[in-house]
Amino acid sequence: MGLIQREIERTGIPTIGISIVREYTEKVKPPRSVFLKWPFGHPLGEPGNVAQQRAVLKKAFEVLYAAEKPGVIVDLPWRWRREQYHE
Amino acid sequence: MPLLTRLKNRLIARIVTRHPALSGMVVDAFEPLVLQDIPWTSLTKPLDECAVALVTTAGVHRRDQQPFDMHDPDGDPTFREIDAGTPRRDLMITHDYYDHTDADRDINVVFPLDRIGELVSEGVVGGVTRFHYAFMGHITGRHVLTLTHVSAPRVASRLKELGADIVLLTPG
Repeated sequence: MGLIQREIERTGIPTIGISIVREYTEKVKPPRSVFLKWPFGHPLGEPGNVAQQRAVLKKAFEVLYAAEKPGVIVDLPWRWRREQYHE
Repeated sequence: MPLLTRLKNRLIARIVTRHPALSGMVVDAFEPLVLQDIPWTSLTKPLDECAVALVTTAGVHRRDQQPFDMHDPDGDPTFREIDAGTPRRDLMITHDYYDHTDADRDINVVFPLDRIGELVSEGVVGGVTRFHYAFMGHITGRHVLTLTHVSAPRVASRLKELGADIVLLTPG
């Protein structure tokens, strides 16, 4: 995913990626990422958990605007299935 | 690729999904290109004026599109163009390398079409592009170059034509 992200950014469009494998993201070096220590296949969280999915999206956009240097990876503190999400 | 190999890949995907600590094994098996520079484009507009495009590597496609090729051990470096207004029931996932049971129940888990749509209605995000794009992850060997030199640049220039101001990428 990071390789595609790099090509899009190179074309002149700012990008933000959601990572669930930090080691991979560190190797591929996309411009901006948020990292969640969650299982494969769940970058936005659990099925039907609207508040959780919205929280991830909003955080991703926040990091997109706040990031100042290329290659930033922001670790989100949310544990898998052990958090309450509120609007 | 014989059926047995596909079943093996799916089994590994299930085990790794349930036990994320094992994901390191999968990453170690994959050695990407040596990458030095990191491309960077600055944001010029506030979020509520931006058109957002989604790009996923979760193997999402419309039911009437060619599924991703699961028989090539190096993966499928092609992409699918998905109209932002595609009804959710017309979407499906073809990807043997992660357990997409949950994403099959709610596509937003990997491809947040509904969540982005809500943020647009609420005025948080300016809008979405007419099309979003989907790849299949797990690209290795000879297909890495096809991805970085053919498919990804093609999607990038398409996104530019569509007027995307921001791209959000999600894995499988």
